[in-house]
Amino acid sequence: MKSNTGDLIFTTFFAIVAGFLTSALMLLLLGLNPLNVFAEAVAIMFSDKYNIGDIFVKSTPLIFTALAFAFTYKANLFNIGAQGQFYAGAIVAISVSLALQNFLPPAIVLIITLLSAFVGGALIGTLIGFLKARFGANEFLVSMMSTYVVQAVMNYLLRTFLKESKGEYPQTDAIDASIRIPRIWEGTRLHAGIILSVLVAVCVYILLYKTSLGFRIRAVGLNSNAAKMSGISIRKITILTFLISGGLAGIAGFTEVNGVQYMLIQNFNPTLGAAGLGIAILANAHPIGIIFSSLLFGGIEVMGNIMGRMSGLNIPASFIQIMQGLVMLFVIVSYFIREKIAVHRNKKKLMEAMEDAD
Amino acid sequence: MKKTPYFEMTNITKLFARVVANRNVDLEIHRGEVLALLGENGAGKSTLMKILYGLYKSDEGEILKDGETVKIQSPKDAMNLGISMIQQHFSLIPAHTVLDNIILGTVHGRINYTDCEEKVQKIVDKFDMDIDIHAYVRDLDIGEQQKVEILKALFLSANLLIMDEPTAVLTPQEIDKLMEFVRSFVDQGNAVIFITHKMKEVMQVADRIAVMRNGEVVAEFPCEGVSEAKLSNLMIGHQLVEVKSGTRKVEANTEIGLRVSKLNYTKNNIKILDDLSFDVGKGEVLGIAGVSGNGQQELCEALYGSIKIDSGLIELNNTDISNFSTRDRIETGVGYVPVNRHDDAMVSDMNLAENVLLRSSYDKAWSKGPFIGEKKLKAYSDNIINEFDIKTPGSDQKIGHLSGGNQQKLIVGREVHIGSSLLILNQPTRGLDVGAVNNIHAIIVDQCMQGKCIVMVSTELSEIFSLSHRIAVMYKGQIMGIYRPDELNTEKIGLLMAGYSGDEVAAHEK
Repeated sequence: MKSNTGDLIFTTFFAIVAGFLTSALMLLLLGLNPLNVFAEAVAIMFSDKYNIGDIFVKSTPLIFTALAFAFTYKANLFNIGAQGQFYAGAIVAISVSLALQNFLPPAIVLIITLLSAFVGGALIGTLIGFLKARFGANEFLVSMMSTYVVQAVMNYLLRTFLKESKGEYPQTDAIDASIRIPRIWEGTRLHAGIILSVLVAVCVYILLYKTSLGFRIRAVGLNSNAAKMSGISIRKITILTFLISGGLAGIAGFTEVNGVQYMLIQNFNPTLGAAGLGIAILANAHPIGIIFSSLLFGGIEVMGNIMGRMSGLNIPASFIQIMQGLVMLFVIVSYFIREKIAVHRNKKKLMEAMEDAD
Repeated sequence: MKKTPYFEMTNITKLFARVVANRNVDLEIHRGEVLALLGENGAGKSTLMKILYGLYKSDEGEILKDGETVKIQSPKDAMNLGISMIQQHFSLIPAHTVLDNIILGTVHGRINYTDCEEKVQKIVDKFDMDIDIHAYVRDLDIGEQQKVEILKALFLSANLLIMDEPTAVLTPQEIDKLMEFVRSFVDQGNAVIFITHKMKEVMQVADRIAVMRNGEVVAEFPCEGVSEAKLSNLMIGHQLVEVKSGTRKVEANTEIGLRVSKLNYTKNNIKILDDLSFDVGKGEVLGIAGVSGNGQQELCEALYGSIKIDSGLIELNNTDISNFSTRDRIETGVGYVPVNRHDDAMVSDMNLAENVLLRSSYDKAWSKGPFIGEKKLKAYSDNIINEFDIKTPGSDQKIGHLSGGNQQKLIVGREVHIGSSLLILNQPTRGLDVGAVNNIHAIIVDQCMQGKCIVMVSTELSEIFSLSHRIAVMYKGQIMGIYRPDELNTEKIGLLMAGYSGDEVAAHEK
C-alpha cells in the first residue's frame, strides 16, 4: 500500500519534530535558546568518537526490547512487559556468568550466558502467553504487572543471594574481565552486542517473513478468524510468540550485564521496556526499521547527556527522559492518527464508488 | 393528508471503513404501530437502529421527531426523546436484584426504595409482566431477563422501543408472552420497532413491514395481505425462478461419499442444529436452501470442524471424521468456502500467494524445512491464477486490492484444490457480479463431474435450482425435507422456507 507508507513517513516525521519542539519549550522555560542548545549538543556529539560509539551502545538493548514488543505485535498481541523480561535475562546472565567464569573458557561462558539470558526472558514470556492462551487473561495487564514482580525478585536477590562479597551495597560482584563482551572500537565503550542485535533483528525478520511459523504468526495477527478457520491453533501461536518475545528482551539483559555494566545493580536501566515499545511503534513493528529507530533513541539519550554536561546551563538529566518521552508520546499518537487517516480515506473511496455507481 | 410520523429517519448513510452499512435510508414510525424491520443477516438493520439509538453516528441524513429535526448523539439523548433499545445481549448486573437493575443510573444521592418499588411494581402490573422485582437477576432465565430489560426501558418512560432480534433467545411460550406485551404497549399509543429475520413472527405482530437488503430499504408496506413467499423474495432479492427440470446433465453417482447422521449443535441453550441427517453422493451437489440464519452456517462449520458438535456422526468416504480438527479435515480433503470471505477465508493485507498458503501452512509440500518454498508456492499460485482466470498483476499483489469476484475466485480455486473429497460452499456467489457468478458456477459443475461431494448453501434460489441434484430446505436448524428440483415449485419452496412442514405444504396445495 503505497499511500500508507506515505502516511507512515509523514506522520512519523511530524511526530519526531513535534516531540523535539515540545521539549524545546522546556528549554525556553529555563531561559535558554533551544536552537543554540540543540546545535551545540549535536556538534559535540559528532566531534567525539566516544559519544558516537555510545549512540550504538545505548541502541543495543533498545533493539532487543523493541523486537520483543514488535514480535507479539505481529500476532496482534501486546507484550508490554519487556522491562521485566529484560530483568529476568539480566538476573540469569549475571548468575550464570559469576557461576561459570572460573570453570569454563570465556567464549563458552559468553555463549552459555547469551542462551540462558534468552531462556530467562522466555520463561516470563511463556508464562504470560500461557495465561492468555489457557485462561484468556488480558496479556496487556499480565505482562505489565509481571515487570513489577520480576523487579521485586531482582531486588530481593540483590540483597540476598546475589549481594556482593563485600556485603555493602545491594549489587552483585563484577564479572571477570575475560567474559565481557569484546570491544569493537578502541577508545569507546562500543562492544560486539550491537552486531549481535543487528543479526538478531535480521533473524527475526527472516523468521517472520520467510518461514511457515512466521507466516502463521502474521496470519493470526492480521486475521485471527481466518487463521483459526485454516486450522492454525491460536493458543499455540500465542504461547510461542510470547516465548520468543520474552527471550528477545532477555538477551538485552546479557548485552547490558556482560557488555556495559559488568554487574547487576538496583534500578538497572529502568526505561528500556517503555522505550522499546515506542521504538517498535515508531518502526511500525518492522524488525529492520527497529534498528534505525533504536539509533534515533540512542542518539537522543547521548545528546541529552551532553546537554546535561554543558557548563553554566544547568539542564537537568531528566531532560533526556522528557525528550524521549515526548517523541514517544507523539509517535504513539501518530499511530492512531494514521488509523484515522486510513479509515477516512477508505470511507472517501467508498463514497466515490457509490457516486460512480449512481 | 399524510400524518406526521412519530419518528422519521431521512436519507441515512452510514459507512464503516470498508463497507457501506446503510445507504440513503428513509424510515418512519408512527405512534401506535409495530414496525417490523426485516432482512437477512448483514442487511444493515442493526446498524440503522443503533444510529436511531445514538450508538453510531450516521455520515449523512437526519432524524426527525414529530416533524422536527433532533440530534441524537448518544443513547442518553435517545432516552431523553423516549427511545429505548433492547439489545440482543443484555446489559444486566447478575448480582443485583431486578429492582436494583431497573433503577440503576436513574437515581442519585439517597435512594428512596419504597418510592422506586412502588413505581416499578406499577409498571409490572400495568403490563401484567409476572416477575418478582426482588429476585436476583442471576436466578432468572433468559426470558425473564429480557423482561427486566424491557422494564428498564419502561421505567425511563420510553415510548419507542427498539428490539433487536428479541425472540432469538426465547422459547415459543415466551415469544407469545412477548408478543402480547408488544401489542398492549403499542395500544397505549407507543411504538415498537422489531428487528428480525423471521417471517412468521412478523406476520403475527407487525402492522407495517420494512424490508432491508444490502443496507437499503427495498420495500415498505402494511402487513395485511402480504404473503410469506413474497417476503422471502424481497429479503433475498430475487424473484423465485420458474423451476426448469433437467438442466443438470450429469447424474450423480449413487455411491455415498458424505454421510451425516443425527447432527446436533446447541449454542447458549438454543438448538441451532436439530438432529440433521442426510447424505451426499460422489459427484452430487446437495443444495441447502433457506432464509439465512436458520443454521446453515453452523451446518457448514460442523462439517468443516470449526465448531464442536454436541452429538452426531459425520462420515467421509467411510471414515468417521466427527472428531477431526479443522487441520485434520483439511488434510483429509475437505474444502470450505465460507460466506464471509473477509473474516473467515482471507487475509486482506497478505498477497495472493500467502493467501493460497493460508489453509495449508502445515503442508510439507509448500515448505523447505522451516522455510516457505517460495518458488514452488509462486508457481502453484500462478497456476491457480491462470486456471481460474483471476485478474491480477501477479501473485505478489495484496488480495485486499482485488475485486470481490477475483478474491472469491482465488478462494474457491484454493479450496477446490484442498477439497479433494468434499467441498462445502456457503453462498459462494454472494455479492458477485454476473460474470463472476457464471465463472464460479462453471467451477462447481466441473468439480462435481470430478466426483466430489458438494454441499452448497445458498439463499439464491436460482443458484440452488440450477446446480443442485437434490435440495434440502432448512428452517430453525431442521431440514424441512429433501427434494429433487422437479418436485418443488416456487410456492412450495417458499412455504418450506417459512417453516411449514412438507405435510402442511401438501395440504396447502389441495
